Amino acid sequence: MKYLPLIWSGIWRKPGRAVLMFLQVTVAVGLFGVLQGLKSGVEHAVAATRADLLVVRSREPFSDPLPVAWLQQIQAVPGVKLAFAQDEFDASYQSPTQHIDVNVLPANASWAAIGPELSVSRSAITAFSHTRTGALVGESLVKKYGWKIGDRIPLHSGTAQADGSTNWTFDMVGTFTYKAPLAQDNFIVVQYEYYDEARLAGRGTVADFPVVVRDPRHAEEVADAIDRRFANSAHETKTESLREMAQSLMEQIGNLDFAIRSIVSAALVALLFSTTTMAMLTIRQRTPELAVLKTVGFTDPAIFLVVCVEALAVYVVAAFCGLALAILAFPWANRFVPGLTMPPMVIVAGLAGAMVIGLLSASLPAVRAARLEVANALADR
Amino acid sequence: MTSTRQFLALLGMNLTDLLRRLAPALTIVIGFSCAVGVLVAMLAMGVGARRQVMSDARADRVVLWSNGAQSAGESKIPTSATTAIADLPYLRRGADGQALALSEALIILRARTKSDHRQLYVPLYGVTSTLTEVIPEFHLVAGRTYRSGLREVIASRLCERQFSSFEVGDHRFIHGSDWTIVGLFQQGHSQATCIMYADAGSILSAFGRTSYNQVMVMLQSPEQYAAFASAAKSNPTLHIDAAPEPAVVEREFKQLNGILDFASYFVGTILGIGATLGAVSSLYAIVDSRRRELATLRAIGFAARAIVAATLVEAIVLALLGALVGGSLAWALFDGFSVRPLSTSFQMSVTPALLVLGCIWALGMGLLGGLLPALSAARVPVSDAIRAT
Repeated sequence: MKYLPLIWSGIWRKPGRAVLMFLQVTVAVGLFGVLQGLKSGVEHAVAATRADLLVVRSREPFSDPLPVAWLQQIQAVPGVKLAFAQDEFDASYQSPTQHIDVNVLPANASWAAIGPELSVSRSAITAFSHTRTGALVGESLVKKYGWKIGDRIPLHSGTAQADGSTNWTFDMVGTFTYKAPLAQDNFIVVQYEYYDEARLAGRGTVADFPVVVRDPRHAEEVADAIDRRFANSAHETKTESLREMAQSLMEQIGNLDFAIRSIVSAALVALLFSTTTMAMLTIRQRTPELAVLKTVGFTDPAIFLVVCVEALAVYVVAAFCGLALAILAFPWANRFVPGLTMPPMVIVAGLAGAMVIGLLSASLPAVRAARLEVANALADR
Repeated sequence: MTSTRQFLALLGMNLTDLLRRLAPALTIVIGFSCAVGVLVAMLAMGVGARRQVMSDARADRVVLWSNGAQSAGESKIPTSATTAIADLPYLRRGADGQALALSEALIILRARTKSDHRQLYVPLYGVTSTLTEVIPEFHLVAGRTYRSGLREVIASRLCERQFSSFEVGDHRFIHGSDWTIVGLFQQGHSQATCIMYADAGSILSAFGRTSYNQVMVMLQSPEQYAAFASAAKSNPTLHIDAAPEPAVVEREFKQLNGILDFASYFVGTILGIGATLGAVSSLYAIVDSRRRELATLRAIGFAARAIVAATLVEAIVLALLGALVGGSLAWALFDGFSVRPLSTSFQMSVTPALLVLGCIWALGMGLLGGLLPALSAARVPVSDAIRAT
């Protein structure tokens, strides 16, 4: 405790230098926080994706729609709690750059029971079931375009209607929110019955069948049972859980580890070199002071400790600030990868890393300070 | 005139002096090497990918999609429309008088990587007989081409390198039946993606399709594009949009490149700020340890602006040195380095333009970092010279 005032005045000996060092550490730790947080955040989000929600798709996804009539067969597979048909098409609102995903779901709204991540009011469901051209709009789109219930939403799409027109108009009958890891509610839901009758090509088909299994532990067996049922049929299926799909999506992007590791190491090397140099310089300039301390009875270990703690204090406070900045910047990253949060592990790792680097950069000057020969040091003066 | 001579004398002195103050000088160089090296390396990914995808795009090749479609997967052109497309004006014609139009049906397949068994999606195009005329850069490198009406597939060389079971003679299970890989091909300079071709008739009948995804046509010359596009647009039986191939490639690339560029400049800026802070504290330290010298210079009549300029230039020289080291490292380590995102592969490309950009970046940061220490160097009071012992 008695060292505290000494350490405090040591830190503020050169205020400019202390502030610069503080900022450097803040920047480096902040960068680490953002990059590592992004990577671990994605891994956490993938792990948090539902494993009990399966999606039955063709083995050749995107290019081979499945017959809607298969729903009964899928529902009959043991272990299936809920199954429904789902189709989708891409559309744009007003300009080609304002892209909107349209999710096509049956009017009977069996899908509303998919899980707590979907929240939609009973009245909205009723209105959806009774309005052929009805659309439920995700909360983020409501915010973005300011649509209100009762509005007509004109969309343009590459999917043509039976008369060749590529314009689709829906009536907004309600809103919903969908909060799941790696997902956004920036889509609208329209009636399958209406869409299927109105479209030019592909009638009676769907893109996939989402399936909720009764017991999550048996999800894989249920998936295999479904695929076995359609083996050797005109459309072989491949059933995967949402988590498996998220995993393979992340795998598509490739190995981020190498890039992040290289960038963070480059930042740390520069930081370590810079702070060590500064600390050495400071110690050289403080030689007379340190010699005086030794003369009045400070032991070598005490001097070592004082110098180390000085550096550590700056590092730890700066690391906190850097991580706080990273956390503040995080909601921004959600624009690229929705539903991310900063894992606590990254904060712990950031603090621990900063302490290690602080010790590394302080130890060399501290050893030098501790080994100082009083007579020589004072003679320099 | 005198202040220029003073400046030069001071600069020479500062630079020779750096050898004595190696540690702070090295701090600046290393800081900027890291910042510029990372920035250049990250941007080199985008440059390499762009070079690869653009290398084979031709202005006289036009891509046709159905009205409003934003991607080939979304586009649907009925097989019945191909005759009307072949009758459009300005199309180049083959020796037999047939229009050079290539209709393509797109199927997405799954494939497993050889190295780590990741599952990736790869495209298979069912193509009509004009393949080699519309895509003249296509050539077979192994096996033979597919025969029409049979379940035979040819794959690009990259498929065979990157994914398992793509050797000539391998069988692949597609849509409930057995297809054979009968050949491997290369397409132009770009080895960029894994794609497969098969006979359009085989694909359409196997998948029960009545539409293609896109049609590619060759114009007699690139200048005819506008006239061709309006002719295609005004044909009432066709509901198609036309775009020159480079524009389509550019549009598809833009999104990826936007993210890449954002990440590069974001990380580059943060590392740049770090390097600048390091430079500021090092320069302050250098100025600090030369107080007596600077005060003496002021006392014997050196102008303050000469001292400011000399210190600034010193900062810039060190920053540029760092940029050169970082840029050279990025070039040595990453130029030609293969990156394989998705089912593509491209080589990172560290171009002279990127190195110049890195130097400009360092120049700006060095100037910024040198400013305050330079001003403080000029403000050292003359009395310091006398007081020092």
